[in-house]
Amino acid sequence: MMKNWIAGAAVALMGLTGGAMAQDYPDRPLMMMVSYGAGGATDFQARIVTMTAGNEDALGMPIAIINKPGAGGRVGWNWFATQADADGYTLGAYNVPHFIAQSIKGGVQYSTDSFEPIANWGADPAVFVVAADSEFNSMDDVVAFAKENPGKLTFSGAGLFVGHHIAALQIEKAAGVKMAYIPTKGGGAAAMKAVIAGEVMGGVNNLSDAFRAQEAGNVKILGVADLERSTFLPDVPTMKEQGLDVDNSSVNFRGVMVPKGTPPEVIERLAATVPAMFENSRVAKKMKAGGSPMHIMTRDEVIEMWAAREQTLKELLAGL
Amino acid sequence: MEFIYYFGDVFSPLSFALLLGGTIGGLILGATPGLSPTMAVALLIPFTFQLEAVQGLILLGAAYTSTVAGGAVSAILLKIPGAPANIATTLDGHTMAKKGQGARALQLSFLASAVGGVFGVLLLIFLTPVLAQWALAFGPSHLFWLAILGVTVIGSLDSDSVVKGLLSGCIGLWLATIGFDDIMGAQRFIFHPSLGGGINIIAALIGLFAIPQVLTMFAKGRKTQGAEVIEVQKHSVGKAAGELVRNPRALTIGTITGSIIGLIPGVGGQIAGLVAYDQTKKFSPDQDKFGTGHPEGVIAAESANNAMVGPSLVPLLTLSIPGSPTAAVLLGGLLIHGIFPGTDLFDNHPDVAWTFINSMLIGQILMCIFGLYVAGLAARVAQVPQSVMAAVVLGLSVFGAYSVQSSMGDVYVMACLGVMMFFLERYGFSAAPLVLGLILGPIAEANFIQGSMIANASVGMGPYFLGGPLNIFLMVVVAASVAYSVWTELRTRKVQNAVEVQS
Amino acid sequence: MSRTQHIIPSGIIFAVGCWIAWISYTQQPAEAFLFPRLISSVFVVLAAWTFGKALMGLSRVGTGVSRTMIINLVPGLVVALIYIFWAAKTFGFYTATTVAFFILLSLYDPAPHNEARTWVKRAVITAGFIAVMYGLFAMLLKVYTPREILF
Repeated sequence: MMKNWIAGAAVALMGLTGGAMAQDYPDRPLMMMVSYGAGGATDFQARIVTMTAGNEDALGMPIAIINKPGAGGRVGWNWFATQADADGYTLGAYNVPHFIAQSIKGGVQYSTDSFEPIANWGADPAVFVVAADSEFNSMDDVVAFAKENPGKLTFSGAGLFVGHHIAALQIEKAAGVKMAYIPTKGGGAAAMKAVIAGEVMGGVNNLSDAFRAQEAGNVKILGVADLERSTFLPDVPTMKEQGLDVDNSSVNFRGVMVPKGTPPEVIERLAATVPAMFENSRVAKKMKAGGSPMHIMTRDEVIEMWAAREQTLKELLAGL
Repeated sequence: MEFIYYFGDVFSPLSFALLLGGTIGGLILGATPGLSPTMAVALLIPFTFQLEAVQGLILLGAAYTSTVAGGAVSAILLKIPGAPANIATTLDGHTMAKKGQGARALQLSFLASAVGGVFGVLLLIFLTPVLAQWALAFGPSHLFWLAILGVTVIGSLDSDSVVKGLLSGCIGLWLATIGFDDIMGAQRFIFHPSLGGGINIIAALIGLFAIPQVLTMFAKGRKTQGAEVIEVQKHSVGKAAGELVRNPRALTIGTITGSIIGLIPGVGGQIAGLVAYDQTKKFSPDQDKFGTGHPEGVIAAESANNAMVGPSLVPLLTLSIPGSPTAAVLLGGLLIHGIFPGTDLFDNHPDVAWTFINSMLIGQILMCIFGLYVAGLAARVAQVPQSVMAAVVLGLSVFGAYSVQSSMGDVYVMACLGVMMFFLERYGFSAAPLVLGLILGPIAEANFIQGSMIANASVGMGPYFLGGPLNIFLMVVVAASVAYSVWTELRTRKVQNAVEVQS
Repeated sequence: MSRTQHIIPSGIIFAVGCWIAWISYTQQPAEAFLFPRLISSVFVVLAAWTFGKALMGLSRVGTGVSRTMIINLVPGLVVALIYIFWAAKTFGFYTATTVAFFILLSLYDPAPHNEARTWVKRAVITAGFIAVMYGLFAMLLKVYTPREILF
């Protein structure tokens, strides 16, 4: 009798704590690691999409952004995979295809298996830009020049094994030409500066940043590396329309993830709440004002997207 | 002259209140070790969500202006440079504070900051189009030579022995290569997981400057009351202003160097103070006094720091390219309100653009007034026993190193570098050249690699790095700088030998 | 100052230099180690020069370390290292700082240890410092620090 009573109490207690865990979560502020510096596109968007986290209908607790920049994101993701606490209070921002391409290339301590996706908030396609006074007016001009001068056409991008580099590889492969890809230190901003200053002949950059630079009259955008035209740039044709077989593998998907080993009930709670949090009208308004395209995906959709990307990237990077 | 038309907007009650709040908040944030201007502005961004675009930018502009100047407070009183910009300030500023002239050093630094700052913002107002071209003129090859120019400063900077100064610089250059290589992504010298992200420059600064000082205080042991205290004597503002006017050379060199170097994207902010300090030292008749609490050093360093603020925003405001991390954060502040820097900003939102620039102009003056008040307060607090001082500096150092990127790893790195530096200092090595190496290493390396990739695809290495007027000009300056250092070294040796012979 | 005092640090630096150079010249990929090779070569030359000078007893710059200095330094250094490498993370930043601050203050405060007034004064200074830090950073600015015990 007594034994049963104790057992019953123990079960009740366990049930209570287990239930309390899921119910009370989160009971303190969360932090989200961004593997790029303050002021970059990922950081900027992460700050906007998490600004309503403290609302009662969202998580009810604010999310603080922590930057761990370096080596194209490797530093932050390495930290996230190996040192971050899997307690549900440490979130991370992912950039696909960046971290997948880096894990395929090797030399890092993470892969798609190290993380559990929660939700996707944005998709920023890569575009090909040239300076406003450039002689190139379409991708045809670029390809024609590259065919005549193999390896001489210099074009910048934000680093090796990031979205820009993937787009560059795809363009080279589709056109059957060899060009000189120049990775810059200092992210997309430095790559864009190299294009505007005429240090390089062209560049691959984020659509959001290129859109702004085009508005300022500094660059021309020649093509979008995506399946469809962007609503921000209805006049700019996709690579496919210009005869280059480039799909959406290089599109920079940004979203939230947690480290492997986070309690399943916490993941469930986050996966249910976070997409709704992204859909908040204030978030959408700020994102649109900043020229950042939104693309909300649920946990299941992201898992599928990661698997598909890993497949295509393995094929693309196999020859390197 | 369009900007005068928008001056009224700065003085509307809410705007002015924000300007005041931003300035005072900025001074406090700037004086806190570990909270660099970039961090401080990033911390304030959430407050601007609720505000109109103009008012949000007033807050950010005022905060940027005063955090840069506020860094001088901890640099002078505690010898903790809050950001790379304040390294040069510690060299003479903290020595002055040790002699009881902390208030004087603070007053000079705020007055010099205001003069430099106002000049920088005026440049931004009147010469933006010209400056934008100048900012773009620096490609990888030029930045490489600029970094080399910085390296030539290493040997002569705050060190009694040229060889040990150069060796300190080499240690710094090597420390900078630790971590993932930024372009190739290869791992270099990662002996411990804490080093995976490389050595964070701000954590390193705190460790190299503040920790040896804490240990030095420990090493003095339990002294009887009053024997060793850090004392701040009162000093009148009028006297400080007079002193500033009597040192036009330091002020001019600091302001001009700061504005020119501040303009160069990606390099400027970090080295403006050090280069100005070194140039002023080279042109000064009392070179030997630098590093021993010479006011000229403080004036040069601080006027350069704040002169950099205005021009550093030129690439952002005209070309929509953030030239520094702080500018990148400000870009975020603009984008949140749907404003795109560039022609859009000046054509369609002139009220935002000019009110922002005006607020920085007024912010410089407010910063100076509050800064001088802080200097007065510091004099009142006066006499801090060294046991308290050591504990305070240690606590703030740990906080500062941690808060840069919320990582204990950075705190460990800070502590290791600090203990190492304490012992190295006993044998004639010094922190300033080491830090300069740490800053310049990545700039030189990244630009060399990027430049050589472009060169190999286009004109070839020789013409790319050695051709063109700007490359040649920079090489001449490098050669002149080396020649000058060698000449002074030989001259002092001759003098020393003569003295030894006589005695 | 004795010759040995200069030989030890410059010897360590020379050894470190050689070791860096060895790593730089053996590790792959070569492109990524181009710059470290350049730096380490200069490093070794300069370190060898300094070491040589120290061996010949020609080093003059620097004050060196003395016995009293080390004896004074060790207690504070040990407390500081325990605080940084263990306590700050284990107990939380503010708790650890309070304890470390109070111990360091007591170790180096010249006031006599046997008077109650001294201890009260030390406690008040500690409390004041922590209160200012906590109020400014934790309450007002909400800067994230490790929190484990109490606060």
